[in-house]
Amino acid sequence: MTLEEILAARPTPGQPRAYSFPKFERTVLPSGLQVLTVHVPGRPLVSANLIFRIGAVDETADLAGATVLMARAMTEGTERYPGLALIEAAERLGSTLHADASWDAFAASVEVAASRLRAALELLDELVERPTFPAEEVARLRDERLNDLLQMRAEPRRRVEQAFSQTIFTAESPYSRLAGGDESTVGRLTRDELVGIHRALLSPERAALVVGGDLTGLDVPRMAEEVLGSLARRVSGRPAATLPWPAPVADSAVDRPIVRLYHRPGSVQSEVRIGHVGLPRRIPDFHAVQVMAAILGGLFNSRLQLNLREEKGYTYGVGAGFDMRRGAGPFGVRTAVQTAVTVPAISEALKELHRIRDTLVTEAELAVARDYMVGVFPLRFETPGAVVGAIGGLFVNGLPDDELARYRGLVEAVTAQDVQKAAHEHIRTDRLAIVLVGDADVVAKDLEAAGFGELEVIRDEVPGEIEQVDPSEGDEEGE
Amino acid sequence: MTAPTVRFTDERLANGLRLIVAEDHLAPVVAVCIWYAVGSKNEVPGKTGFAHLFEHVMFQGSRHVAKTEHMGLVQAAGGTLNGTTWLDRTNYFETMPSHQLELALWLEADRMATLLDALNQENLDNQRDVVKNEKRSSYDNRPYGEWSNKLQAHLFPPEHPYHHPTIGSMEDLDAASLEDVAAFFRTYYAPNNAVLAIAGDVDPAQARAWVERYFGGIAANPKIPPLGDMTVPAILGAESREIVEDQVPLPRHYFGFRAPRFGDPRLEALEVACQILAGGKGSRLYRRLVREERIAQDVAFFALGFVGGASIAAGEATVRPGVDPDVVERAFEEELERLGREPVTADELARARALIETYELEALQRVDERADRLAMFATLLDDPDLINRQLDRYLSVTPAEIQAVAAEVFRPDNRVVLTYMPASGPAARSADEETAA
Repeated sequence: MTLEEILAARPTPGQPRAYSFPKFERTVLPSGLQVLTVHVPGRPLVSANLIFRIGAVDETADLAGATVLMARAMTEGTERYPGLALIEAAERLGSTLHADASWDAFAASVEVAASRLRAALELLDELVERPTFPAEEVARLRDERLNDLLQMRAEPRRRVEQAFSQTIFTAESPYSRLAGGDESTVGRLTRDELVGIHRALLSPERAALVVGGDLTGLDVPRMAEEVLGSLARRVSGRPAATLPWPAPVADSAVDRPIVRLYHRPGSVQSEVRIGHVGLPRRIPDFHAVQVMAAILGGLFNSRLQLNLREEKGYTYGVGAGFDMRRGAGPFGVRTAVQTAVTVPAISEALKELHRIRDTLVTEAELAVARDYMVGVFPLRFETPGAVVGAIGGLFVNGLPDDELARYRGLVEAVTAQDVQKAAHEHIRTDRLAIVLVGDADVVAKDLEAAGFGELEVIRDEVPGEIEQVDPSEGDEEGE
Repeated sequence: MTAPTVRFTDERLANGLRLIVAEDHLAPVVAVCIWYAVGSKNEVPGKTGFAHLFEHVMFQGSRHVAKTEHMGLVQAAGGTLNGTTWLDRTNYFETMPSHQLELALWLEADRMATLLDALNQENLDNQRDVVKNEKRSSYDNRPYGEWSNKLQAHLFPPEHPYHHPTIGSMEDLDAASLEDVAAFFRTYYAPNNAVLAIAGDVDPAQARAWVERYFGGIAANPKIPPLGDMTVPAILGAESREIVEDQVPLPRHYFGFRAPRFGDPRLEALEVACQILAGGKGSRLYRRLVREERIAQDVAFFALGFVGGASIAAGEATVRPGVDPDVVERAFEEELERLGREPVTADELARARALIETYELEALQRVDERADRLAMFATLLDDPDLINRQLDRYLSVTPAEIQAVAAEVFRPDNRVVLTYMPASGPAARSADEETAA
């Protein structure tokens, strides 16, 4: 055969190897702590994640940023390991201790050789149970956050995300804020607030330990009871955190199309976000929504990518999707486009938002999205760290144990009608907020003329200028 | 804890294509990674950014694959993919469910054999616009965005192939023509200039048969032009400094040094030094500048390995508000120079080794990383087995070796200091801004 004949014939796939999401075991310890273990053979590194169902969304407005700051301060020293001794002890095990808070959860985690798991769990226990929150380290971390906020103002990509959240959510919603807090509250936070948040966190009913890797010869639940059992004994009489929790407030501040432009002189691109308040994670049509979002703006060849990148060359990349949290997070189209094509790029993005609501996707589009989401599943969960992370996500969101095992079947069952229904119900073209960070001197007039919605231009921020941060003055964004 | 050995076969097809296959069946996934020995160092003056623009063209279809279909077919098969361009090489990779391996091989073969059949002005113009937007996103519209390009320009003289950035300049991107693309393809995208690595859930005999079938008939290019002599003195010779005014709220220093080439054991000693200097909260720079003296908001230090002339050791420190940038610079440099004066402690070295061991094991868990490293070591050093010796080499680095390389590299006359300062007024329009293309 000639090379031409060989290449002219497309190969057909072989037989897929059977795959199912790794099964995990659940043990509830006498202390109330859940232990979820997953055996992934042949993996010398074990991933351990002690996760608590409490996050930035649970803060009151006056404490915004306290949970994230608390997490950062936890590795700054404990009763037995003052200062950097905790970090150094973990490094001697070849591991890094992570303590992270997100909107929905706090997690302390470590990746370590199986033979050192017990020693690593002892450090996790120390970190979670006995942090000392030294006042001067708390003050330093607080100042670092304030400095980071300055940097954020100058970084168009981060600036536009903050502006987008502030635009679409009402001020009462925690999601209108930054998970790490802003100048209006962070500057006020002290050791006392962090200790208070920590006390609320330390409830074993909220917690699960997820451990994955090659667990041959390890009795993880027993190890966990021995090492982490006192977590329960230290805290008593605390009410159990039961599901479902009250949903966080996630009301829309927008009831009609609006445009908000933050002036950044000299910008060679406009950072653009288009969207509205989206959906929480626990919804009946989750899989249809995910397939729809993949076709619209998730796949490399999504409709938005094919239009704005591969056809028009307006951008290096464009995506769209729902950030699903315990409450309704944002839905948004996200891109950065050359300044001169800002208006046509927005027009094309809006066209795509309407098109996926108004007409059925083709069978070919549906097949690519479905087949990708089903087929990529084993790739996503190649390592214990990824498996442990996914199981932790089920726990945080209160999803059933078989959620991931059922995922592929449910995705395969999604039809073109389901996709259109999901788009029609969940993409609200009547209340799209278009938020930009760009050069108003170049784009404002055209944006006004385009009639996408009422235009508001915010010019009083001068990026690059260091503002004196006065925590007592509250929000200075000038919106 | 011992790292699992990566067993692999290493052979060449008659046309010169080097094939490396590493079989393991832990997960039902397989990675395909192809490295072409061409990067921005092969570009000539007036045509900077070309290797990277070309990488984009590689996704615009070939004789049997329509525009954007490469992405579509891989994703519909449940795979992931991308390509990257760097100074010494360009690589393309797909990670697939294992029963879809043949598709990835066919796609790579079709574009290696027939790319030019699909090339047209429209696709080139489109990807030129995309790349110009990539440049705007990654460099021009980003605070501190130009730092790496500037360090390269300071560390290598204008005539050196590492002097210019991989992303290129707007003028040169505008000048790229269809003839340039065709010539570049014919010159460098030949089987004898490529390494194909396959790792994961694969039957090696079957993989070899497919590779022979799809790639075996592609003609070699016997006349790949050799690069000129890329040797540079090990030491820059004199300190080089630049102050950059930018739309940034906090000053930041970037430091750059010439360092031993990729593959030189001294670079491995330097990488261990990087861990001790800035690898996490227990490191020297973090401890002193961020935690104790509280003069820096953040610090970093790392090595970028290159095979021609010299590598780059680079670092950064963001200056806290109200702190004199000179104080931060002095403290940073003192810590670098101290490494050259006195040996690291046994405990520091033990912690660095333990962390490096975990990082290596973590990385090698994934099939895509195994394929990438096999292709990298084969392409750049002709030694794919380094994948199995790299960790031991890191772990055997001694305090004396760290001290020696630090003394060689961290010298004032080998140093570039780039200092970003907040612009006093609204920034001047970027020189690269232009009308809509």
